[in-house]
Amino acid sequence: MLYQQLINGLMLGASYALIAIGYTLIFGVLKLLYFAHGEVFMIGAFAGLYLVLYGGANIYVALLGAMIICALLGVIAVYVSVRPVAKDRPLAPLISTIGLTIILQNLAVYLLGGQQVAFPEAIKQELYHIGPITISSVQIFILGIAISLMVVLWFFIEHTKMGRAIRATAENHETAALLGVDVNRVVLVTFMIGSGIAGVAGVLDGIKNSGISPFMGLSAAVKGLIVMLLGGLGNVPGAMIAGLLLGLIEILSAAYIGTTERDFFSFAILILILLYRPTGLFGARTPEER
Amino acid sequence: MFDGLLDGYTRSLLIFAGIHMIAAYSFYLPYKTGQVSLGQAGFMAIGAYASAILTQKFGIPFAAALIVGGIAAGIIGIAIGFPALRIKGIYLLLLTLGFSEIVSVVALSWEYVGGAQGFRQISFNPFTLEYVIVIIAVLLFFFARLERSSLGRAMDSIHQDETAAEVMGIDVVRIKLLAFGLGAGIAGLAGALYAHHATFMDSTTFNIMLSVEILVFVVVGGGSTYWGPAFGAVVLNAIPEFLRALREWLELIPVAWTNFYPVNRVYDFLHGFLDFENAKRLIAYGVILILMMIFRPDGLLTRDSLRRLRLPRWKSRHA
Repeated sequence: MLYQQLINGLMLGASYALIAIGYTLIFGVLKLLYFAHGEVFMIGAFAGLYLVLYGGANIYVALLGAMIICALLGVIAVYVSVRPVAKDRPLAPLISTIGLTIILQNLAVYLLGGQQVAFPEAIKQELYHIGPITISSVQIFILGIAISLMVVLWFFIEHTKMGRAIRATAENHETAALLGVDVNRVVLVTFMIGSGIAGVAGVLDGIKNSGISPFMGLSAAVKGLIVMLLGGLGNVPGAMIAGLLLGLIEILSAAYIGTTERDFFSFAILILILLYRPTGLFGARTPEER
Repeated sequence: MFDGLLDGYTRSLLIFAGIHMIAAYSFYLPYKTGQVSLGQAGFMAIGAYASAILTQKFGIPFAAALIVGGIAAGIIGIAIGFPALRIKGIYLLLLTLGFSEIVSVVALSWEYVGGAQGFRQISFNPFTLEYVIVIIAVLLFFFARLERSSLGRAMDSIHQDETAAEVMGIDVVRIKLLAFGLGAGIAGLAGALYAHHATFMDSTTFNIMLSVEILVFVVVGGGSTYWGPAFGAVVLNAIPEFLRALREWLELIPVAWTNFYPVNRVYDFLHGFLDFENAKRLIAYGVILILMMIFRPDGLLTRDSLRRLRLPRWKSRHA
């Protein structure tokens, strides 16, 4: 029973981690609370659904398609709600991305209808027994995709030129620009990567819960925020670990304490972290005035 | 008071606009000291639940319950404000958001206030509009006085530079706490008014989107002047009604004027676009928000624009 719950917790945590990675990348580079991120996640789920349902794509193509569509959405977000907005007013980009959130959510409601849609069974359901644990092929698939994506991303951030440029920009825009980093391009790439990963997370969430709706973005966004904070603002590996951690905490509290208290725990963690350890469990990459 | 003048629809519209305006002022007061809260819906919920418990379970008259609701929210506000003093910016945003979510989780799991079924059959207050008008009048008077008082200037200076304000001898802690607590109290009043007008609420009534909307009222109206929150709430509540009216006017145009190509296409497009449908209305709302932040990030009303309005009088006095 406990092993089973641990696996469920890791599954939930993996999707939290994928959402939070995008948040924390974007926060690191722009110091912006990117509100529309949850809606990008939702649109990724719908893109995957339509690719499987009407495009006849297999699940890998659907994942790739959702990733590309969401990355394009990230580009649109930069040109519409980040670049044209005044930089010297802290609330302006926050509000413009809130505007984008409202547009995306209601566009989805308008075009796709407000109800929950069933996600087609894209992977054959098989059960494997390993010692005391029973794990399904769907669970292996989701965990496998999520973890390999995180590894690739970690490698990208730590060991490539673009990754170094992203880290430099997160430290300081002016210094990075002086050192020859094209800051505008870095911001664009960061949004593309963050949004693309959120798109994959959306499809994985659709497979896991076998149903998606235009309103799934908001709660995903809030959970992503908590994870970002828990891992330390701007800290990508921190977000990965914190995501898995929050997933475990939620599943275990739901299993052993009660399902309505589950959200209470995550928000209590949010407040405790804010009060006693605002740099997160693993330290913020981008020290900010608090 | 306005029974003969207003039909039910207009009356309800004015009430919601008024409640939004009060909520906008509840955001504006802490914002004046630089504290940005995304938890005003949580304080509204506390005012709403506290007052509804009093009127429904203890039979206390609405006027008293309203005041107690405001005070309860204010006390919780000060309790939240104490730890919130230490943090700023995005951290405060997240703290208030988390607080507001905890309030809704408590509302969801507490059976005494209805739990998942929601709080039902709250007594209807027929004089909500009158209450709303009186409270807004008091708030406007209060903020007009505050603007020119030493307390108001101290708040502005904290907003601009907290360290500098402290060096000047301003008691930053006391003033920030006062602003946060009073703001929460005002939000509690708005919540109590809402509960006794809508007569039903549940854990999703006072959600994050409401807190976001309250913030948007102030930023769109203009956060640098006390007329901003009222103006923002009026404009943003009026836009959907305006779109609706536009569609009705469009239908008044004689068919013969528009029934040829390409005018008919344009007409059909506009007519379809102005369809009073929630999703479309909200899309328009989102577009307006983005355009506002691009072209007028300080809000519709700023201190400068107000000063320009008064310019003629100024000139005559000094010339």
